[in-house]
Amino acid sequence: MKATESDLLDLIAQEAIVDRQKLVRDATLADLGISSLDVITMLFELEERYGVVIEEGDMPQVANLGEMVDYLLGRINAEEPAA
Amino acid sequence: MSRRIAVTGLGAISALGVGAEETWRAACEGRGGIAQHSFDPGSHGPGPVTLPAALPPADFASGYETRYGRKISAGVDRFALLALCAAAEALEQAGLVDHAVLDQRTAVVLGHGQGGQDTLEKSYERYFGARTQRMHPATVPKVMVSGGVSAVAMQFGVHGPVFATSSACASSAHAVIQGAGLIQAGLVDVAVVGGSEAIATPGCMAGWQAIQALASETCRPFSQGRDGMVMGEGGAVLVLEDLRHAEARGAEILGEYLGGGMTSDAFHLTQPSLDGVSAALRQARDAAALAPGEQVLIAAHGTGTPLNDQNEAAAIRAVLGHAGQAHPVIATKSAHGHLIGGSAALQAVIALKALKARLAPPVLNHIAPDPACEVDLVLGQVRPIEARKALVNAFAFGGLNVSMAFAA
Repeated sequence: MKATESDLLDLIAQEAIVDRQKLVRDATLADLGISSLDVITMLFELEERYGVVIEEGDMPQVANLGEMVDYLLGRINAEEPAA
Repeated sequence: MSRRIAVTGLGAISALGVGAEETWRAACEGRGGIAQHSFDPGSHGPGPVTLPAALPPADFASGYETRYGRKISAGVDRFALLALCAAAEALEQAGLVDHAVLDQRTAVVLGHGQGGQDTLEKSYERYFGARTQRMHPATVPKVMVSGGVSAVAMQFGVHGPVFATSSACASSAHAVIQGAGLIQAGLVDVAVVGGSEAIATPGCMAGWQAIQALASETCRPFSQGRDGMVMGEGGAVLVLEDLRHAEARGAEILGEYLGGGMTSDAFHLTQPSLDGVSAALRQARDAAALAPGEQVLIAAHGTGTPLNDQNEAAAIRAVLGHAGQAHPVIATKSAHGHLIGGSAALQAVIALKALKARLAPPVLNHIAPDPACEVDLVLGQVRPIEARKALVNAFAFGGLNVSMAFAA
């Protein structure tokens, strides 16, 4: 299943409990109050939803939300589902 | 008892509905929450099974999350979420949300049989299924049996004694008595007590099937043809408060906690004992200080298992006498299933409502009287009662027996 940026922002809002309106590309994770635990919770949900295993160690340092979303979309939409 | 203890708040969530009032209405109207549900162990387990169970509405937390957000609720297991929602309702009714007493002079004591079973099974399914060997870092705090009390303390800013009790099916009864004890000892003015359980999970249900405790169709307490319990999920919370504290702030008094009895059979992990159950019931009866001939409402443990009901009926007759069968017996697990650690608190909520309304809700699914279970069962429809006091029973695997006495 392919993901869109909007799908991913919905998921981040849900899992990290952030107001969807605040999820703009140049916001930093710290600005948004998204902790490392929130990121892991998000990665687990991505795995459930799209069948793609993304280890937390895989993720490069990201300067802002936009970079994170681009990375995740690239992984989800490039990989065949694991299961 | 040096300090009298008022009940100033009630909260409940179960298959009977969301909220103590909805629970009470459903119980009175004889609307049971038991239905067939499918339990799917996932791709690494055997095929799904269909079993009777009593589950809360899927959106049970939506009202809570609308009022308080998801910052705390999103990080906890289902059992803790049930406790959190019930605690919120009870504290709101008590008028204690944001009250200064929560800061230092309040305890939270909740009982749970197993803790975060849903989280545990899902995590282990991933781990042992080798789909990925990563474990979510929140697994431990979600599974721990104290996850519920911590969530309540964080949400409502409680800095006093906060801990969980665990004694299988008697867990929340022990929690009530422990919370009351903290008030009586003068350590706190308020105790948020009760319990919850959410173990209608594929692996856990298989365990209950293995011990042959589950009913084939439904829960029929004290009836002929009963063949087991029905698993229920839910939670219930009572706000106990030093009566003087409650009166001083003008709180509505919903009832009074009179005391309780606690015994251990020291006999068998699954078989009940007449002596142990009778002793707990006798202690609670004494705490209730019944006048000669005074009627008392009995909220039976009444699981619908052959052995429990026969033993409990014998204990009721032994302790409260049989003459005239003056004491109405209710068994609401026939409606909301067996919430294991949460059952006693839910039954206490229903018993307090019953005392206030002077009405006893009917036992459901009854086929015919069992001569071995002769007690004055409330059958058919809601029955007007005279009782102003109630005994609420909870008897657990491992021979742990509790009975609580309330008045309203």
